[in-house]
Amino acid sequence: MRRYPAIFTLTFILGFWASHGLAQDVASFEKRTTVKVLKNGLTVVLCERPEAPVFSFFTIVDAGAVQDPQGESGMAHMFEHEAFKGTDRIGTTDYAKEKIALAKVEEAWAAYDREDRREVGRDPKKVDELKAAFDKANEEAGKFVIKNRFGEIIEREGGVGLNASTGMDSTQYFYSFPVNRFEIWAYLESSRFRSGVLREFYKERDVVHEERRLRTDSNPIGKLIEQYMAAAYTAHPYGRSGVGWPSELDHLSATEAAQFYKKYYVPSNAVIALVGALKPEQVMPIVEKYFGAIPAAPRPEPLTTIEPEQFAERTVTMRDKSQPFYIEGYHRPDDRDPDDAVYDVISDLVSEGRTSRLYRALVRDKKIAAFAAGFSGLPGTKYPGLFSFFAVPLPGHTPQEMGAAIHEQVERLKNEDVSDEELQMVKTRAKANLIRGLADNQGLAIQLAGAQLRYGDWRELFRSVDRIDKVTKADIRRVSNKVFVASNRTVAMIENEPAPAAAPAAGSAQTQKETH
Amino acid sequence: MNRSKISLLFTLVAMLVVGGASASGQTSAPAKPKAPPEAQSAAPNTAGAGEQQDLAAADLRAIKKPPLPAFHPQQPKRIQLDNGMVIFLLEDHELPLIEGSITMRGGGKDEPADKVGLESIYGNAWRTGGTKAHTGDELDDALEARAAKLETNGTPLATFLTISCLKGDFDYVLDLANDLLRHPEFRQDKIDIAKDAVRTGISRRNDNLGQIAGREATKIGYGAQSPYARVPEYSTVAAVTRQDLLDWHAKHVQPNNMIVAFTGDFDSTALEAKLRGMFAGWPKGPEVPRTNVPIPPPKSSMYFVAKDDVNQSEIRMIAPGLRRSDPDYPAVAVMNEILSGGFASRLFSNLRTKAGLAYAVGGSVSAAYDHPGLAILTIGTKSGTTAKAIDGLYTEIDRMYTGGVTQAELQLAKDAILNSFVFEYDSNEKVLAARTNLEFHGYPPDFLERYQKAVEGVTVADVDRVAKKYLDKSKFSVLVVGKAADFDKPLSTYGAVTAVDITIPKPRSPAGATSAASNPEGKALLAKVIAAAGGAPKLDAIKSVRRKSSLTLKAQGMTLETEQTEVGTDKIQVKLNTPSGEMIMVATDQGGFISMAAMGAPRDLPSSQRDTFLQGLRYELWSVARHANDPQYAFTAQGKEKVGNIEASVLDISGGGDQLRWFVDPESGRVLRSQFQGDSPTGPATQVVDFSDWKTVDGISLPFHSELSANGQPSASVAISSYEFNPAVDDKIFARPEK
Repeated sequence: MRRYPAIFTLTFILGFWASHGLAQDVASFEKRTTVKVLKNGLTVVLCERPEAPVFSFFTIVDAGAVQDPQGESGMAHMFEHEAFKGTDRIGTTDYAKEKIALAKVEEAWAAYDREDRREVGRDPKKVDELKAAFDKANEEAGKFVIKNRFGEIIEREGGVGLNASTGMDSTQYFYSFPVNRFEIWAYLESSRFRSGVLREFYKERDVVHEERRLRTDSNPIGKLIEQYMAAAYTAHPYGRSGVGWPSELDHLSATEAAQFYKKYYVPSNAVIALVGALKPEQVMPIVEKYFGAIPAAPRPEPLTTIEPEQFAERTVTMRDKSQPFYIEGYHRPDDRDPDDAVYDVISDLVSEGRTSRLYRALVRDKKIAAFAAGFSGLPGTKYPGLFSFFAVPLPGHTPQEMGAAIHEQVERLKNEDVSDEELQMVKTRAKANLIRGLADNQGLAIQLAGAQLRYGDWRELFRSVDRIDKVTKADIRRVSNKVFVASNRTVAMIENEPAPAAAPAAGSAQTQKETH
Repeated sequence: MNRSKISLLFTLVAMLVVGGASASGQTSAPAKPKAPPEAQSAAPNTAGAGEQQDLAAADLRAIKKPPLPAFHPQQPKRIQLDNGMVIFLLEDHELPLIEGSITMRGGGKDEPADKVGLESIYGNAWRTGGTKAHTGDELDDALEARAAKLETNGTPLATFLTISCLKGDFDYVLDLANDLLRHPEFRQDKIDIAKDAVRTGISRRNDNLGQIAGREATKIGYGAQSPYARVPEYSTVAAVTRQDLLDWHAKHVQPNNMIVAFTGDFDSTALEAKLRGMFAGWPKGPEVPRTNVPIPPPKSSMYFVAKDDVNQSEIRMIAPGLRRSDPDYPAVAVMNEILSGGFASRLFSNLRTKAGLAYAVGGSVSAAYDHPGLAILTIGTKSGTTAKAIDGLYTEIDRMYTGGVTQAELQLAKDAILNSFVFEYDSNEKVLAARTNLEFHGYPPDFLERYQKAVEGVTVADVDRVAKKYLDKSKFSVLVVGKAADFDKPLSTYGAVTAVDITIPKPRSPAGATSAASNPEGKALLAKVIAAAGGAPKLDAIKSVRRKSSLTLKAQGMTLETEQTEVGTDKIQVKLNTPSGEMIMVATDQGGFISMAAMGAPRDLPSSQRDTFLQGLRYELWSVARHANDPQYAFTAQGKEKVGNIEASVLDISGGGDQLRWFVDPESGRVLRSQFQGDSPTGPATQVVDFSDWKTVDGISLPFHSELSANGQPSASVAISSYEFNPAVDDKIFARPEK
């Protein structure tokens, strides 16, 4: 089903690039792209790119860490891991028996967890018994599992780039397949979200906790960023840990995950983009056959919480053995705000390449930083997020110097018009970057799915460039003066606190100085 | 959202926030090679063979799987000019873009050991330093206005020049690329920025567990000083001069050492004619010798790096790998797939899914094109399961070593490799990159076709044989980075543990290392400085100096009267009149102290402060002048740079482990500015001293005023009231008071 006539209204880009022959390409883009909304509400965007007999897909579910229920931080991410565990037909030797065994695991977990967390009268002996019973129930359920069968099928069939990710705003799943595996893809991806089974949940929770240790606990910048977001938000869930606070992560259950799934993994809450050597008349019936079988359900209620206006500057200082780092952020509106493109322009102006303002000021002229940039996206963009500036100091330079140098540039944005040349450079770059992104199946699928989900129309991908083209010097000053003010600022930094003399090594170690 | 926003999100946000990806990206599956189009026969339809039985097996069998449509991607046209330059052209008219690369053999592995980092600095400053006609900043402005990219990049094996632009801008960008190839300028200010980038990397290299583990594992595998393992240090970076970069360029940027490759919206015939016109007249240069790096025999030792601010251990198991051209390679690739190829592999299934020990687990026996790779297995686990994870990896190595790979595992691994082969050449960029890579390493153009055929023929016996060869526990060393106090068992359980000290050596290079060569301009400039100061005999006669001054500390807003007495380059006493009484600081090559009545007993002078004092003595004009004819010292002129309104000549001085830069007034021969790396309260800093107010004392011309700054922040100013040469100095003033 094509919802729009084939003539595309991207006059800006048609005009601008006519001499480069892009006009035909953009028009052909419209011809090559089909949108279908299934009866159950699932939206599928298909873009034909016949260059090679392969295709990529990107499924985006409109639920991220923001949707984690209170006390269950990390749930959206945990569910994402569980979406690799197979279904009632994939990865089980006998689902009927496994289902009973999994129900027993949940009972055993609930009993153990309740006793373990008892505030008064906790009985350690009973906890041990309940833990043993829980372990035994897991072992029983494990007997029916064919490990990693879902991933195994994809790999065996020639799938590449198999992965998924969970952000604050959404969860996404993706890989690429040879085009003759299209129906296998439809089988796998539809059953994943229709009849997925939450097996091996508690071992996977340990895996996710290791992921937390890797990305956050044992990584100084990861640690700082978690604190940065916690400081920037008082009410909105953007301030919560996306991977989960350790205590909450360790108490998530498969029962809770099933509730999360039921509420958020409904067809009307997701978009699938497909890009590659696919013909709509051949593949849409297959999509219909497999994905149409997923039962319809209402879209979940939107979030009520709105972050209250910030009136006091907040600062997080982490004194650490690692090298200094500086980041600061200002609350900005969400990505559907009419000024969204202005933030895009500011971000490009201060960040992109060696002509950018932060590079020229901090790296080239002051010689105090190795890298500096400004960007939107932390913690997310669907709800009002932050516009952040950060800088990586050169040896011997402090985070405070970074802050001062960044503020000089922020003041310039507020008090001086950008030059015509700078503004034109940003606009030209936006168009060129759009074109560069069109020749990659997976990249294109990501962008089409994102635009379709957030704006209800994949063409937003092109319109965003149109809106960038309309941004004026006055817009940049207006937005900068409104948002980049001290009372709206959260600062987070690492101050280097040198380690004490090297600790003696473990065991019967002899010391050797890098001569191995 | 536009693409730059997306890319920022992916590079920054994905790095900073919880990415949350299911870790197949973390398992570092072995890189699969590119395939030529001829290799694409009908992909074997073997799904089902040896699969474990679930209902999905029947479901999959019921699904029609048509043969993959015939696909013969276009091959690039290969052109070789008489001067040896190889050119590949591959048209692609999908979008109005042109992308290209020029690859020059020779990289970090070929740089001298005392200048590690040279190639990285070269690859950065080549483009940013501009051409004779245009500064790098002018190039940035011109290219960014067209959203065009022209970049250079240094790597261990080669230097790359890359181009990406809209087709309408191509002629313009290609001309700039040619200018960059022929007339690079390597302006000093951009060399300094390139060095800053490397120095930043050095200072931060111990902040990340995985980075420490990766670096130290490579050192264990190849030897710490191997060109495949060594890393830059402050001293090796400081040793790199502009002349080094010019020499490197002259040696490597030769038509017979280059591969030029373009894909995009052009006409091959026209572009070939254009490139011939541009490059055919460039005479062939001398052959660049290829460095042969010895590979040490395997060891089986336990190494430990202490990192106490983490709750996870990074573990690496390290053994020799093989060359890509080795006949074992196809069987090893299948073995790697079984061991760690993806979700269904043994490491992922057993250590992650089943044991819940890790998020990131993987590794492989790797095969480099030009030298033997390393077998490195990796796992990151909480501190309390470190030994359990080591045991887990050992078990998996042993299980491969003792045989027992099943037919089902073999089939799955081969299917995974062969069914995904189409992704090795599903874009023109990939086809061109693969072809360039084979040409670069001197591999046959049908190498990948042969590889694909060989994989089809791999048997269980082949995998068992290579497992015995490459996954032999007795050839693996183990490295653990983490917090020993929280380990489940001491590492000594596994045998003697070698602690690896990863302390980053301070900015000063090791004493005695000379790192640069003088140039005639540098020698002449020094001679001019010496003559202007009063001549060598007068300077040489200076054995001791006493000077009085007012010292103003900017941060404290405080001015102190001082008297400073120095003897040679190894003894100095400074007396300061402070509001709380006289403070005396002494630094000698034996030690140092601070004393002050209000403080009680004298205290040790911190070693960094002592070093700073003694460094100051070595950087006195008369101290430097004594080394004018010292073969251990190098005096290198580095072009011009402005100091105030004067276009000063830059003179780099290196020797005795010191690095110093003078900015000399070419008219008067006066040193206007001295710049060096030193310690500051916040760590290593660039110290700059600006001199003024020259007067003559005993026939020696001396500055009576100086302004000091650290990392661009003004720190102090000094107004000198008197200099006294060769005063009588009682040695006792350098001795620590007894009580």
